Formats: sequence, C-alpha cells, structure tokens
Amino acid sequence: MELTWKMSKQPVLTKKDLDRAGKRWFIGISTFNYETQLAPSVVFALFPLLKKMYPDEEDLLKAVKNHSRYFNTHPWIANLVLGTALAVEDEGGIESLDAVQDLKVGLMGPLAGIGDTIIWAMFPTIFGAIAASMAQNGSVLGSLIWLAFYGISLFIRPKLMWFGYRQGSKLVTQMGAQLNAFTDAVSVLGLTVVGAILSSTIKLSTGIVYKNGEVKLNLQSTLDSILPSLLPVLLVGILYYLMGKKKIKMTRIILILIIFALIGSFLGILSV
Amino acid sequence: MDLSIIQITLLTLLAYCKVLEWSTTQITAFNTVIYGFLAGLILGDVKTGLEVGATLQLMSLGVVAVGGSSMPDYPVAAIITTTISVVTGQGIATGLALGLPVGMLGVQFDVIWKIFNGFINRKALAYAEKKEFTKMLNISLVSTVTAGLTAAIPVFLSITLGIDIVKKILDFLPVWFTNGLQIAGGMLPAVGITMLLLYMPVKKLWSYLLIGFVLAAYLSLPILGVALIGLALAFEFYKRNIQGGKTQSAGETNGVDMEDE
Repeated sequence: MELTWKMSKQPVLTKKDLDRAGKRWFIGISTFNYETQLAPSVVFALFPLLKKMYPDEEDLLKAVKNHSRYFNTHPWIANLVLGTALAVEDEGGIESLDAVQDLKVGLMGPLAGIGDTIIWAMFPTIFGAIAASMAQNGSVLGSLIWLAFYGISLFIRPKLMWFGYRQGSKLVTQMGAQLNAFTDAVSVLGLTVVGAILSSTIKLSTGIVYKNGEVKLNLQSTLDSILPSLLPVLLVGILYYLMGKKKIKMTRIILILIIFALIGSFLGILSV
Repeated sequence: MDLSIIQITLLTLLAYCKVLEWSTTQITAFNTVIYGFLAGLILGDVKTGLEVGATLQLMSLGVVAVGGSSMPDYPVAAIITTTISVVTGQGIATGLALGLPVGMLGVQFDVIWKIFNGFINRKALAYAEKKEFTKMLNISLVSTVTAGLTAAIPVFLSITLGIDIVKKILDFLPVWFTNGLQIAGGMLPAVGITMLLLYMPVKKLWSYLLIGFVLAAYLSLPILGVALIGLALAFEFYKRNIQGGKTQSAGETNGVDMEDE
C-alpha cells in the first residue's frame, strides 16, 4: 500500500513488546503529579519500546520528551490509548510525534469518560451496595466477589495495549494520505474535550462577600451568573500568556500558584 | 485491649499496601469492606471489622475520585475506625469519630505527595536531558514507593497516639493552611491544561474549545456527552477537510495556514 505521508521507518514492535508495555503500565497512577498527571507512568511503561524504535539517542530523547507531556485518562483503559498511539509512532517515527500526542489527547478524554462512568462510578456503586449489605450480616462474600471481578481485569488490562496497537495500525494504514486531515479532526475532538475539562477539572472560587448594611452579596454567585467557571478560565488565560508569551518556566508557575493559594486562603479571598 | 507491636505493624502495613494497590493494580479500588475485614482479622474481631466496613462503604457510595482528584480515604478510615472500636470496646461510633477525620486528613497527605511527585517528575526530565535514561526511570519509582506513606503515617499515628493527639494536630494546623493546600490542588490542573493548549492548534481551532466549554459549564453535560459531540464535530470537520483537499487551491491554502501556527 502506498502511503503519502512520511514513513520514516519500518515498524519494529512485536506483540511481545506491546505485552511488556502493558505489564509495565501497572505502575498506574502511582506517579501522578499535578502538572503532567500520568505522563511519568507513560514514559515508564513505553520506554523499552521507544528504545527499540529509536536507536539514535537524540531521537529517543525527543520521543521521551513527547511522551512526558500531559496525559491523563482512566488508568484501566490507558493501554488502549497508548497502544493506538504506538501504532502511529511505530510507522511514522520521529516525524509523527505531534500526531502521536494529538491522538493521545484526543482519545484520552472520551475513554476517561467511559472508564470513570463505568469502572469508577457504576461498578463500585453496585458492588459496594452488595458488599455492604452482606457485610452487615457478617459475611465478607460480597466484597470478595467484587475483588474477584476486578481481579480478572489484571489479565485483560495488559492485553489492551496490543489490541489498541492493531486497531491503530489499521487506522493508520487505511487513512494514509488523509492523516493530516485526520490529525486536525482529532484536534477538534481534543479541543472540545479540553474546553469541557477546563470547567470541570479546575477548581477556583472566591470567598469574598460584600456587606452593605443588611444586604450580603456573595461575589462568587455574582461571577457564576456572569460566566460559570469564570475564574478557572481567567486562570488558564493568564497561564497561557505567562507560559506561552512570557516563557515563564512551569516550576516557577507552580510555586507562584501554591503561594497565591495560601495567601488567598489566609486573606479569605479564595475559598475551597 | 492493648495493641501488640505486631498488630501495629500489620495495620500500618495494611494502610501502606492499600494506597500502593490503589495506585497500581487497583483491584481493591473503593472496596472499603475488604479493608474493614482485614483490619478485623488482624485485631481478632472480624465481626466489628465487617460492621465498620459496611457502614463506611455505604457512606462512600457515589463518591469517586475522577481524574486524579483527591477524595476522603474510606478504606483507611475503616482501618482506623475498626482499630479504635476494638481497642476501646465502645462501639463503632467512637471509632468513627477518629477514623473519619483521619480519612479526611489523608487527603492533605495525598495533595502534598502529588506536589512532591511534581518535583520527582522534573528531576526525571532533567535526567532525560542528560540522556541518563535508567536514572530517569528509577526516580519515577520513588513516587510509587512513597505513595503508601500517605496512609501509613496517619494510620500509625492515630492508632499509637490516639484520638487526643490527632485532634491536637488538626488544631495545630491552621485552617487557612489546609484550605490553602486544597485550593492549590484545585488550581494546579490549570498548569497541565495550559501546557496542553500550548501544544494544540488553539489559534486555528479555538471555536471547538469554546463549544466544549459551553457544553460543560453552561449545560453541565458530562464529559462523555461532550466527547460524543466532539466526535461528531471531528467527523464533520474531517469530511469537509477531505473534500476541500480535492480542489487543489483549497488544499494549498490549508497547508499555508498550518505553517503559520
């Protein structure tokens, strides 16, 4: 099949490699940090594969840095996202890094939505209710059934890496020339989701209350009536300016934010 | 009854393993009953353990940690509550009086640990720059190994020092300080999201950012719903783009636009 986008290398990854990455992903959310979220786990899980794909150390560094960018999704199905991204990267090589990151961002939101809803909300509610009612009668059985059910996932979850890879390869081969349009389309999906997580993930509200005689006015509810999530939007706008235009380092930004939060809390300007 | 050193060790270890398991394999995720049961087993009172587990499990229904947000640690609360209940012999209400606040306190440790992980991550990136990749991978494991401490420390302190000291610690930390940490925890995801935006074609496709925002902020649509709309928009965008690409001039204009980004 003739592909018109740059194919800088032959695919080198095997099922064994993908399974290995799937197992390494059990590092899970244990590296979670506020800035890049699960990116350190991504690098940890994929590193042996990246090393195989990029014999050149400079390329390897570029790929490592690419996977060090913000990533967060439901940890059980992250394998699916990463496997798909690896399929693109294994064919596109160093030329495809932007497409790889866009694909990850585009897929992580929707899959996180599915995972959070089903695995983190629906199952624990159903199994939890059963386990609790049986425990009230002095039986641990309900809890153990839940454990067994989730335990099975230990065998399925690593396999999703290979599953994602195969789907991804198909996707990439079929798309071929349309990869650019595809990347843009994925960006559309990604940006729509980012717009939504902007308002649902960032928590920032003010505790300022105006007092005028008997009348009390809560500034936050005034802001909410103008634009919901106004403060988170402003925060992102300011950070975008500082980090994008002023090139202020992430480390400094984080430190400033923590100090700002402590001072704001002390003065009562910000509230939880 | 008094706790033996072995019991204290096992209970602390149980708390450590709980968070380690939650951070990695996640098969006991949200399973509060099992931790009440195991604590009861260590203390020789399975009945109380299950009763505590059931009570806290029901309290926790519907409370989920989504996208790395911090939540009260109900399983850890179950370990402490069971221990205090069995030791004092005064029923689970006494245990809950200590278990729940410590479960909440655990959230503070969790926030501090996640901030600490940020430093680990930057250290790892510094190793990557120097091409010391083995060191880069190994330092990430420091986060994995220390995760359990966020629960082991509060559990150890509360079952050895007891209710009075824990109350004193909570009194000692000023409210504005703990609140401030929590506020910082709410603001910090903005850094990651901003980084994301800096890498995405915001200038070209900002309207979709706006659509997603309005759907979530004004219409309170769950992320999955937003994503489905995003999928539809992406498909339409793709279809239009492919058709546009067939006429040569439109395709070239597209190319120029992209280089401007």
